[in-house]
Amino acid sequence: MGKKTAIIAEHHNGVLSPVTYELLTLAKRIQESEAGDICFFILGADTEKPVQTLSTRTGEPIHAVCIPGLAQYNGVLYKKALSALFSQTPFDYILAPHSSSGMDYAPALSMALGGSCITGVEDVVRTDGPLCFVRSLFGSKLSARLVADTGPVVMTLEPGALKAFSPEEKSQSPNQVSNQGSIERSVLDITDDNMVYTGTKASPSEGSDLARADVIVSGGRGIRDAQNYKYIEMLAKLFPRSATGGSRPICDYRWIPYSKQVGITGTTVSPKLYVACGISGAPQHVKGMKGAGFIVAVNTDPDAPVFQIADVCIVEDLMEFIPLFIETFTKRRRKEDERNDLGESFLA
Amino acid sequence: MTIMNRMNQVNRINRLYEKGKAMKILVCVKQVMEGESPVRVNDSGKWTSPCASARFEMNPFDTYAVEEALRIRERIPGTLVHTITVGPESSRDTLRRALGMGADEAVHILDHGMGYRPPFLTASWIAAYAKGKGYDLILTGIMSADEMNGQTGPMIAQGLSIPCASAVLYEKPGPNGTHISIEREIEGGARDMFEVTLPCVLTLQTGINSPRYPSLSMVLRSRKKEIAVIPAVAFDEQEPGLRLHSLYSPQKERKGVLLDGTIEEKAEQLMDILAKKALLT
Repeated sequence: MGKKTAIIAEHHNGVLSPVTYELLTLAKRIQESEAGDICFFILGADTEKPVQTLSTRTGEPIHAVCIPGLAQYNGVLYKKALSALFSQTPFDYILAPHSSSGMDYAPALSMALGGSCITGVEDVVRTDGPLCFVRSLFGSKLSARLVADTGPVVMTLEPGALKAFSPEEKSQSPNQVSNQGSIERSVLDITDDNMVYTGTKASPSEGSDLARADVIVSGGRGIRDAQNYKYIEMLAKLFPRSATGGSRPICDYRWIPYSKQVGITGTTVSPKLYVACGISGAPQHVKGMKGAGFIVAVNTDPDAPVFQIADVCIVEDLMEFIPLFIETFTKRRRKEDERNDLGESFLA
Repeated sequence: MTIMNRMNQVNRINRLYEKGKAMKILVCVKQVMEGESPVRVNDSGKWTSPCASARFEMNPFDTYAVEEALRIRERIPGTLVHTITVGPESSRDTLRRALGMGADEAVHILDHGMGYRPPFLTASWIAAYAKGKGYDLILTGIMSADEMNGQTGPMIAQGLSIPCASAVLYEKPGPNGTHISIEREIEGGARDMFEVTLPCVLTLQTGINSPRYPSLSMVLRSRKKEIAVIPAVAFDEQEPGLRLHSLYSPQKERKGVLLDGTIEEKAEQLMDILAKKALLT
């Protein structure tokens, strides 16, 4: 029989979120310790496109649940549908993304099913005893291994924590006979007046110049005061095609507008160079900028998580370091210019 | 009564109606260690022991919930703001803080347990307390800064069989007290809008407001306020379903280089690195 694992696929406008494939990696890792079946669940009004993509790319069985009233994510409907599905067909592990929706429905779903809930899972490890799920606490300063005694275990997986399952792995899998897994389709005609979707408002970061910049200089709480954001602006000015950004806290403090926020709830950027100044490196920020070609971090705290992903780590106070760097920069530029001038006069 | 007085009275009643029906709000707050405080795994390896220098504060995420409740009370006269916490004796400071900000009443669910407490237990106790007390709205932060679970709010809602919206950045109660319009933040900063039936639970995203500092007069007044204490053992025993196997400092991998030397040398080194990478042009 084995342990059964369900994966709730996440999709927006017909496109699967990348974390869906990372969830499959988590499911396979659980499977290594506790063999059993895996099945994807996709909920929505129209799921045909993501169902086809997922099936071709993973070859895993899929249960597509058509809910006519669920064109947009709706927490009440999701919880209702999922608790009905999993009460009917019990699963031991239910995996969801640690996303705005996953975080919204997972805790209540676990309670509705009489199970347990672990949010923000980053890894699974088998010790001599039970299967342990790993998550971060205290701003990533500590890691915890948690054991669930009561099933089903509803988990949310931190996006980017595990490598996405890739189709190449599929073809190497010996027990994979056909290219596509089975697809089960059902219709669940549920509605709920307790939560009615009325529309979506565009993000304040829409159309921001952050996404197009080659160089981004960002400030965090380390700037200590709104007026010190000028250091960030001064540094950015040294680079052509640059933009200034910031972490969520300094937007929350109203030091800079939300349109400048870099992170999951702001703009996700991948410039050639990203300079993080006074930013500790909260996961929500890091996930929005780790795709940058080259990362420089300036922070007074040598243990700041940002230093784990930076290419160059500078333990200094940005308010001293930035003016000094600008001075060094202008001096060198002047020297280079003088050399060039000399060269030209020589040629002439 | 003069005509002017009569008109003023009518206007006042109209304004009251426009502002909505008075609400009873419960705000759930948690005490956490200040973000900068160092944390250490205790000898059992099962939880933390705060360093002597550790300072405690109200979970920063929850300060937004207290503030939002107070703003609703300012908009809708007659609204009551109650606040509740679960934790040891020392966590009562957090309730004092909420009272100092302006909350009307505070309840402390006293739990002497100093180890890991799964959010399910916290949520079950708060739900058990809130049941039947007529709260229209239960507010809390989107997560706690220390454990970052984000489970307590949604689980309270489930415990009370009422709807919940998380990551809320805007709320406006409807005029007749049956619904609330909300906006919840999704990836990329866009917002989904919903009409939610009251009573409900909202977990608030940071930045929904700018939380106030306690005022001196409020702090003085709050000192005289009685805080109701309920021992956690008074609630039905629940299986937490989850236990902490171990706690440890993660292996820190630094993929990049750490610049050495004086601050001037570091500036020079950074120049060299950026020049070499052709990132200066």
